[in-house]
Amino acid sequence: MVELVDVTKDYGQADQPVGVHVLKGISLKIEPGQSVVIVGPSGCGKSTLLNIIGALDHPTSGRVLFDGRDLAGLNDRELARIRNREIGFVFQLHHLLPQCTVLENVLIPTLAGVDNSSPKAAHERAEQLLERVGLADRMVHRPGELSGGQRQRVAVARALINRPKLLLADEPTGSLDEEASNDVAELLVGLNRDEGVTLIVVTHSQKLAQRIGHVMELRGGTLNDGAQA
Amino acid sequence: MSFWRLVTQSLWFYRRTNLAVLLAVMVAIAVLTGALVVGDSVQYTLRRTVEARLGQTEYAVIPQDRFFRAALADDLQKQLDRMVAPVLQVTGIITNADGSTRVNRVDVLGVDERFYRLGPGASVPAPNGDETVTLGAPVADRLAVSVGDEIVLRVEKPGLMPRDVPLASDADRTAAFRLKVQALADDEAFGRFDLKANQAAPLNVFVPLAWLGEMVEHPGQANILLAAAGEEEASVDQVNAALQRCWRLADAGLELRPLARPDVLELRSGRIFIDQTLADAALKVDADATGILTYFVNQIALGDKVTPYSMVAAINPNGTSLIPRNMSADQIVINQWLADDLGAKVGDSLELTYYLVGLKRNLVERTDSFTVAGIVPLSGAAIDPNLTPDFPGLANVDNCRDWEAGIPIDLDKIRTKDETYWDDYRGTPKAFITLEAGQALWGNRFGNLTAVRCPWREGLTERITTRLTGDIDPATVGLFFQPVRQRGLAAGREGTDFGQLFLGLSMFLIASALILTGLLFVFGVESRSEQVGTLLAVGLPSKRVGRILLAEGGLVALAGTIVGVAAGLVYTRLMVYGLSTLWRRAVAGTQIDFFAKPVTLSIGGLLGLLASLFAIWITLRKKVKRPARELLGGDLEARYSRKAAWSRGRWGLAVGIVSIAGAVALVAFMGGGSGQDVAGVFFGAGSLLLIGALALCQALLRIVGGGWNKPLVSLSGLGLRNSTRRSGRSLAIIGLLACGVFLVVSVQIFRQGPVSDPERRDSGTGGFAFYGELSVAVLHDLNTEKGRVALGLNSSDLDGASAVQLRVRAGDDASCLNLNRAQQPRLLGVETKELSRRGAFTFVKTTKSENEQGWNLLKADLGQGVVPAVGDKNTLEWALGKNIGDELEYKDEAGRAFSLRIVGMIASSILQGSLVIDEAHFVARFPSEAGYSAFLVDAPGAETQEVGRTLTSGLRDFGLVLTPAAQRLAAFSAVENTYLSIFTVLGGLGLILGCIGLGLIVLRNMLERRGELAMLRAVGFSRQRLGIMVFYEHWGLVLSGLICGVVAAAIAVIPAVQSPGGQIPYFSLLLTVVAIGVSGGFWVWIAAALALRGELLDALRNE
Repeated sequence: MVELVDVTKDYGQADQPVGVHVLKGISLKIEPGQSVVIVGPSGCGKSTLLNIIGALDHPTSGRVLFDGRDLAGLNDRELARIRNREIGFVFQLHHLLPQCTVLENVLIPTLAGVDNSSPKAAHERAEQLLERVGLADRMVHRPGELSGGQRQRVAVARALINRPKLLLADEPTGSLDEEASNDVAELLVGLNRDEGVTLIVVTHSQKLAQRIGHVMELRGGTLNDGAQA
Repeated sequence: MSFWRLVTQSLWFYRRTNLAVLLAVMVAIAVLTGALVVGDSVQYTLRRTVEARLGQTEYAVIPQDRFFRAALADDLQKQLDRMVAPVLQVTGIITNADGSTRVNRVDVLGVDERFYRLGPGASVPAPNGDETVTLGAPVADRLAVSVGDEIVLRVEKPGLMPRDVPLASDADRTAAFRLKVQALADDEAFGRFDLKANQAAPLNVFVPLAWLGEMVEHPGQANILLAAAGEEEASVDQVNAALQRCWRLADAGLELRPLARPDVLELRSGRIFIDQTLADAALKVDADATGILTYFVNQIALGDKVTPYSMVAAINPNGTSLIPRNMSADQIVINQWLADDLGAKVGDSLELTYYLVGLKRNLVERTDSFTVAGIVPLSGAAIDPNLTPDFPGLANVDNCRDWEAGIPIDLDKIRTKDETYWDDYRGTPKAFITLEAGQALWGNRFGNLTAVRCPWREGLTERITTRLTGDIDPATVGLFFQPVRQRGLAAGREGTDFGQLFLGLSMFLIASALILTGLLFVFGVESRSEQVGTLLAVGLPSKRVGRILLAEGGLVALAGTIVGVAAGLVYTRLMVYGLSTLWRRAVAGTQIDFFAKPVTLSIGGLLGLLASLFAIWITLRKKVKRPARELLGGDLEARYSRKAAWSRGRWGLAVGIVSIAGAVALVAFMGGGSGQDVAGVFFGAGSLLLIGALALCQALLRIVGGGWNKPLVSLSGLGLRNSTRRSGRSLAIIGLLACGVFLVVSVQIFRQGPVSDPERRDSGTGGFAFYGELSVAVLHDLNTEKGRVALGLNSSDLDGASAVQLRVRAGDDASCLNLNRAQQPRLLGVETKELSRRGAFTFVKTTKSENEQGWNLLKADLGQGVVPAVGDKNTLEWALGKNIGDELEYKDEAGRAFSLRIVGMIASSILQGSLVIDEAHFVARFPSEAGYSAFLVDAPGAETQEVGRTLTSGLRDFGLVLTPAAQRLAAFSAVENTYLSIFTVLGGLGLILGCIGLGLIVLRNMLERRGELAMLRAVGFSRQRLGIMVFYEHWGLVLSGLICGVVAAAIAVIPAVQSPGGQIPYFSLLLTVVAIGVSGGFWVWIAAALALRGELLDALRNE
């Protein structure tokens, strides 16, 4: 489903003649329905790697293939379409729109203008997702009226609204307490298990890593399989 | 660390934000103080103008078409112990040496060194030589002449008797002189002398008093007296009391002379007819006093026998032996010469044919029959040529054939015997009727006696003189001082209040700047939310935190105030410069002097500071009330509650509805007031409407933001929802733009386009083709062939043309060209039926509920001492501050007070600047005002130019200035439109502030929501799609501001434009609104593009 071939990422720095090499020739292949956790110390490039996988960022070199298509050959609009239709994102900060209800927040990706499906169907899907994440009774609430864990579950539902094949989660429990973290972890695992959504999670949390299973460690710009969570 | 240390360190640390706040405060204060100082400057200029035009003059006798002894000034000076200067003023026309340039309606002033001593300057210029002239600077400029050049001055020679008096000669009464320019008189040299309250420089020409007196046949006379302020204060009553003590009969044109045969003392007037008041007083002085009225008749006939051109005296039977005591009014006594000529005997019926002079010198020949009651021999008392007054053109000629009376005389009818009679007996009357009968036939508005006689006794002359000058108020002959300085100062004080005007229209600009101040300040505070949260978290009470921030804001506001006051002075200088150049029409070309009172600056600064502090406090107070947890956790926890939203929304709804209802009530119930009221309604209703509209918008934002139950289905819906997120900011955008739009749109609505159809009777031109003004009044009827011929016009060239002639009583210009509040506006006397018949002009308001009476209202009988008047809307509402039913106090020619009651108001018109009264009222109040100095001309469309040319060339020597009516109207509109241009600039500044605010808010919204935008990018929103969302979000607010501003302006201006004359320029209005909308969209787009550029996704990465 996703294949990274010898991907590197450098960041130039104004005060240094040589840039920082964040990713050094990473190759990775993830099959549909697989779930992967990427762990590593702070600043090792986990989020960068996730953003490159999610077509949010471009590698310095190497290729990123999504369903066999090289992302480098796609324009901004096509990348946006892939992000909207094929990929779901869950961020550490949920970025819910405080002025919109929970239900509306889930529907936000449908307004990106890349899909002409009926709003009614999207509405039903959003309700189902909220039911799935245990927020059926909070649909008309505002984010400000929810707990941190509930907000992150809304963010998960939002990520799934367009039935993505791939769900990317960047520190999804980073700002949650233990109980809420467990809920979110359970949700992600359940989605992967029950709906076959390919899942890539970047986290510090060992507990989360253990629950998801296949752990890879990013250290020194290289990705090592089978790291101990 | 102390309170103030924390404050000052924060001030410096956040200097960029604080600088932005300071600049916004500066703008508010600069505009506020600037508006006030503009008012100061205009007031100062008007005060300076009073000094320039009056010098040290405190009181003045204003010319009344009467003349008195110049020596009266000497007598008064002794009485009053203050400088009194005589001036002889006549109207003139001046041309340069080759006649290529002409200036009409100049004031030719005969002055001596006393006049200059009263001037504003310390020095007295060298006296003029007899053949030289000193020109006021404006005249010299217009003629483009300088010292040493020659000019030709044509002056009106005013007769002693009014030119409308029956039998007064209508021969050319002007004289022309070629003079050398000796000097040019600037303000310092009293060149601006003017008794009328007008800031526009007068067209003055100065010549020596004695020389002018000789030239216009009024030697040793004057018609103006100027009295200086003395060391001791004297009231106008005291000055007039002194005048009462000094005046002599000669000052009223009266002469008391003893006659040897018969042995009587006779009082007669240089004006031929003795004023009624004087005659009444004279008859009361002595029990034996008797009145005489002698008239010139065309013929006396008995059957087919005719004696031409004779004098007939009407005398009191009790005071003479010439007629029997019991003679009735239809009887006549003739002398033997006439009896012989006609072959008449006692009992015969004679027919007397004579002319009566009507309006416009229309002669009406009348004939009356009298029965011969007696025949007196032509001897003794019957030979009395003194019975005939000195009719000019009749009395002092050797032969009858040289008569030049103001009536047609057929010289062929004069026989040799008539010449012989004239040679032997001069004006000795040939017939006598009773005084009662004579007064019934020949009495007129100038008087009904030509002489009063008393039997001669020793000391009678002194007794009569003393009694007459003591008993008669000299005011009855126009001799009374008026407090011209006091009036002038009042006129300036009460005139157009530019400070208020600028302040009124600047209020919306100031409001915009204050909104911007609040916005910028709150942005600064918001960027320091975590810091505020920390202060709260470490235990500082929220009030103390609030005080720290308020102190910081206060210091910024104080600094902004200081800079703002200085900027206000620069702003004022720019405005004053604009008023002196680009917008000079708004002040009628007056050079406005910059003048700032310290107290004004203090008031402006203080008010601005308080307003800025209020704006800061109002935005700050909610911020520090938020819990520390929220502040520390960023700003994502916006609290939304449908219940609270509805509750707060209801408040907004209530405020909105009440404000709008208040505004509508204001417009409906108070919109019909005077100009000041209408302006008050405009500003009041405008403010209420804007407040109401903003309150409604706030309610809408809250309700939409809090009570939205249906999920989003579109990007525009998301944009709308986003705009509810920061309702304060959204309201700020709406408010900023609404203020600017309100101003610009109001100004556009007020702006007057050219008259679309000037030929229409209901337009501001009245359907007339021309408006003419004359330096020398015409006496004849421009509508009759006879009148045209008398004026030297070729009647055939005027076929199809007609004129409405206007009598003019000089007064203050009450048009928009005068910045002063006119105290006694110029009066126009019109034959009502002429305007009524044409249905000219449009009545906006009348005293009647129906307008059907129109001009006929001028004929209404309003009781003793009240004269109905009609005025132009601008004249009444703005220049005079009067409305229907209001009254203005005037004094007639005889010094008697009367009231003008406003009975009608016509829409903006070419009659602006004057009040119109019926001609009959005019001549009754001002009988000496001879002829017509202005007229309105109707001309058939195709012949308009030809008629204009004919009149201009034919009436050249009358100093005609003929202006196309549409052009005159456009000139008035140009003044208003210049004002509107100034206000457009203010509106434009408001819009600039609006756009700055809009851009800042869009940028701010976008920058603080970069994470959110990045998320949207992450979930598949393209950059373009995001741009559209941002556009929807903010352009909706722009649109709301536009709608609020336009609707508020449209309602607020209703009272001002509801007159039929008002034409709303819909097309340009639409263009303006569209342009503002497009401009708003452009700025949103720019700000959005700036905010969305760069890698938005970095915002996610930086987490």
